[in-house]
Amino acid sequence: MARYLANRLAQAILLLVIVSAVGFAILHLAPGGPLSQYAASAQMTQDDLDRVTRQLGLDRPLPIQYLDWFGRMLKGDWGRSYRDGDAVLSVISSHLGATLELMASATIIAVLLGCWIGVLGALRRYSVFDTLATVGAMIALSIPTFWFGLIAIYVFSVKLGWLPGGNRETVGDGSLLDLLHHLIAPALVLALVETAIWGRFMRSSMLEVINQDYIRTARAKGMPESRILTVHALRNALLPMITVAGLQFPTLLGGALVAETVFTWPGMGRLFLDSIGYRDYPVVMGILMFSATMVLIGSLLADILYAVVDPRIRVR
Amino acid sequence: MSHEGAKRSIPPLADVALGFPTRRQFIQGSASAAAGWTFSSSAFAQAERPTNPPDKPRGQVIAALSQEPTVFHPLMAGIEVDQAVWWQVFSPLWFIDPDGNFVPDLAREVPTIENGGLSADGLTWKIKLRSDVKWQDGTPFTAEDVKFSLELINNPDFRVRNRVGHGLVKDIKVVAPDEIHWRMEQPYSPYMSILSLTFIVPKHILEKVSDPNASPFHNAPIGTGPFRWGERVPGDHILLNAHTGYHGKGPYVERVVFKYIPDLTVLYTQFRTGQVDYTGLQGILPNFVQEAKTLKGRKIYVSSTSSVEHIAPNLEFGPFADRAVREALYFAINKQAIIDTLNYGLPTLTESFVPQQAWSFQQGLPQHKYDPAKANALLDVAGWMRGSGGVREKGGVKLEFTNSTTSGNAVREQTQQLLIQDWRAIGAAMRVNNMPAAVIWGDYWAQSKFNSVLVSVNFMLGSDPDVTPRFGSGAIPAKGGRGNNTYQYQSAEVDRLLAQGTKQFDLAQRKTTYGDLQKLIRNDLAILPLFQGFIAEGVKEGLQGFRSNINTSTNCWNIREWYWA
Amino acid sequence: MSTAALQIVHPAPAHAAWLRFRRHRLALAGAITILALALGSAFGPYLLPFDNTHIDILNRFTPPLLGAHILGTDELGRDVLARLMMGGRVSLSIGVIAMVIAMAVGIVVGAFAGFYGGVVGAVLMRLVDALLCFPTIFLLLALAALTDPDLVTTTVLIAATGWMGVARVVEAQVRSLREREFAIAAVAFGSSNLRIMFRELVPNAIAPIVVAATLNVARAILLESYVSYLGYGIQPPAASWGNMLNNAQIYLTSAPWLAIAPGLAITLAVTSFNFLGDGLRDALDPRMNIP
Repeated sequence: MARYLANRLAQAILLLVIVSAVGFAILHLAPGGPLSQYAASAQMTQDDLDRVTRQLGLDRPLPIQYLDWFGRMLKGDWGRSYRDGDAVLSVISSHLGATLELMASATIIAVLLGCWIGVLGALRRYSVFDTLATVGAMIALSIPTFWFGLIAIYVFSVKLGWLPGGNRETVGDGSLLDLLHHLIAPALVLALVETAIWGRFMRSSMLEVINQDYIRTARAKGMPESRILTVHALRNALLPMITVAGLQFPTLLGGALVAETVFTWPGMGRLFLDSIGYRDYPVVMGILMFSATMVLIGSLLADILYAVVDPRIRVR
Repeated sequence: MSHEGAKRSIPPLADVALGFPTRRQFIQGSASAAAGWTFSSSAFAQAERPTNPPDKPRGQVIAALSQEPTVFHPLMAGIEVDQAVWWQVFSPLWFIDPDGNFVPDLAREVPTIENGGLSADGLTWKIKLRSDVKWQDGTPFTAEDVKFSLELINNPDFRVRNRVGHGLVKDIKVVAPDEIHWRMEQPYSPYMSILSLTFIVPKHILEKVSDPNASPFHNAPIGTGPFRWGERVPGDHILLNAHTGYHGKGPYVERVVFKYIPDLTVLYTQFRTGQVDYTGLQGILPNFVQEAKTLKGRKIYVSSTSSVEHIAPNLEFGPFADRAVREALYFAINKQAIIDTLNYGLPTLTESFVPQQAWSFQQGLPQHKYDPAKANALLDVAGWMRGSGGVREKGGVKLEFTNSTTSGNAVREQTQQLLIQDWRAIGAAMRVNNMPAAVIWGDYWAQSKFNSVLVSVNFMLGSDPDVTPRFGSGAIPAKGGRGNNTYQYQSAEVDRLLAQGTKQFDLAQRKTTYGDLQKLIRNDLAILPLFQGFIAEGVKEGLQGFRSNINTSTNCWNIREWYWA
Repeated sequence: MSTAALQIVHPAPAHAAWLRFRRHRLALAGAITILALALGSAFGPYLLPFDNTHIDILNRFTPPLLGAHILGTDELGRDVLARLMMGGRVSLSIGVIAMVIAMAVGIVVGAFAGFYGGVVGAVLMRLVDALLCFPTIFLLLALAALTDPDLVTTTVLIAATGWMGVARVVEAQVRSLREREFAIAAVAFGSSNLRIMFRELVPNAIAPIVVAATLNVARAILLESYVSYLGYGIQPPAASWGNMLNNAQIYLTSAPWLAIAPGLAITLAVTSFNFLGDGLRDALDPRMNIP
């Protein structure tokens, strides 16, 4: 196991290097650049632009820039944002809380609700509940999130006035109630798709399991249904969900990005979009490395857990 | 990329590069050392007030911005939206009011030849400063701060926005704590207006900084302005508190909150539901303006900006090199539909690159007329004959081209589709090729790689109509020139007028020169002008003091004078 | 034992599958809806008196059911129904073709990785991991920036961001299945590796693959709208459901039908594909028959 772990860890680090190189190349080779925002403004002449390009070190050959960036990153210096001059790590951490708050609430809602709906749907297959859940999940997966968010704002903020139309808090309030009030709409919009995904996978997984031979054997042996469900079915049905959880992180991040944009939520997703729009290379690279690390940790944990719980997978 | 379009955050640059409503200063007379610098320093024009401001700052203003201010060092490379914050935290030596008058701020008086602040040749500047001004940390403001600021601008290691004009300043001398002198390398009249947008930074804080491009000051600035830095929640808001020791009028509100709301639809919704007191850059989308005007408890202001919305042809690109083609295309544009329908009648027609409010604006330029028949006739005469698919061609060159603009700008994309239909009727085939801001305003625009672009540009150099960077033949980046002449326009006569204009000091003479220039540009159709830019802003009723100012970069310029009735 | 196991997991004969599929009423409804949408998009435009790009600026924002325009007109006075049908051609083709590409790549990569394991598996799955590390939006933005936006590039772009998830699911399934008796038996019978992979193992993973495929069509059609939202995608004046929805956003309060029509079309199409997939899953997996 220790060797396996060391092996996977080495792979993960290699992966991060690849990710950083590919990301750096794509980002810098893509047309446009951080100076486009000033380029045509009468305020800055070509001389000014060339000067700033030099000052930012963007006139150097790309491999040199990459190695420079990489070397600094290893030493913990992730560079500074071109926009506000702040250190990248502090830029990320100042946006991280808002995103984690949103993603965590959405995930909690989605996992609880999704698993419940999935299991119940599998057990009472083709019941009214199952049909409604299936139809509901399909529709949830089919609605463009940004559109759904806008309609939610229109209905609940503009027409009914129940919820704030966006933002994380009322400036100067700071109470928990105020935070929750702002959290409801974006968390639910983000949770919608997640719940549907969890529900669908859970239902599939559960159906898969309850039709397995060993469940039938258990039934044939007269084991009580509730025991079959909890001891055998549910436990085994949850196994593939570990992979789902690992796979969901980037999806969740993408969903958060849209929800954050629609609800003007000051999180990392929107920071990422803005930074791409402004070609704020250090911040984009920072977020990329950060999320890649998170994804890798997630997938590593999923693999280890999967190996631990499913003895059929042999660790080599 | 202007006020009416980008409805969300994905192309955030959409509004900054070109044609953002840069209401810069084109005050009367500033163009001439002789005639222009004679403004009375007492021109403290005030808005009419139904009520009086409170004795003590009261309440708060939540101002929504669709872009996020991120640069708080007012001398660094920033974009338009950053200035909304600079105006609150910092002060310039003087500023320009909505009527075009210079008003002293940190300076005791605006230097003129009459008051001895300027030498007759415009080379020696003597500025008298107020001695009662304190930085927000209590340190007195002195001439040393002005000297430091000017020197910082010229510091080669400093990532300054630009050095236009500042580079000419030599021999800065602090003769007293409240007086500073310097010499200009050559007379340069626009420097008056450049200084009106140059904010002074504190020497006592910044001189200790090792890296002028990154220091704690950058994210917690200290200035002499009406509001002190409070806190910044990145991606969300910036909070400023009233600076009670402010040397000027106001501030009358306790707090200003700049709220970043990237989606213009959401921004309007929040204004409508009352969560936002004022919609700053980029204001209210034109399609909401009519409805907004009917809202109870809200006031809507539609103001002109100094940018001109136009079709930018690449004059080196095949068909566009032919003036007849440009003229035919111009005649075939249904401008009225674009203005009245797509822009809800808010903008004004224009034939010039100079804003109509400027002293240099040339009246009586030939008026555009929507006349497809004439356009067709022009092309027939010029030898562009209809070929396969109804597209005209001449000498193997087809009359087909792409048009680009910032993607996501709804009104511009609609305009493009109208143009496709208008131009198809005269046998010209246009194809849309839109791109995100960071792409289109990079090399694609700067190096003239486009066929044609739909864009809004502020052509003025400061307040000056000197458009050498835009139309001078030496200003074509694609040909190694230094400037923004991405049209690749070249005309010996225009070059001559441009050179002549910068040497003239008499306002009447300059007016003639730049009038002739406008006639030439209009006649050559170096650009196909559509209309003069505009911005619609909303203010909650009861919030007094809002005054749009085409001479500043943002209508947030005087929040210090805003108060709740 | 091994032979019996092999037979049990073989796909059911077509007829039995069809019978099972027919019982799944939602799937049938989904199939019919897709057929209707496809036929409507393909032939509808020829039946309408309006061209989808014809601008009639004086009649912009005509509400639905008033006069000749059944679904009203848009911000340029164009017939919404005509644009919806033309947009359907674009969006449906993108959705289906992108899914097919993504599935093909994903299944092949997943099967190889899961079957061979070891270095091959590690390399392939680390590649998948690496690509999954990029948020979809980033990949889309970066790739889109390098290409000219049109129908083909948009489709390939969406497919390029969609195959990794499939590969993971297939890999996990194949990795697990190849340890089972029937796979070991197949090896013992001397079947070739390719045959075992694609005739024995992959068909056994058909259920999760079909589920993944349905999610992928949904994803592809939705991503088309996000690509439009990001400023790439189909350029005007051509219509796609994504860019219609996107353009309608700012008119949501004044002309809601502009958003409702393409929004419903997307929702309807994607939902139908999901139901279809669900039905296929039941039909193709005979074990589901056992109560």
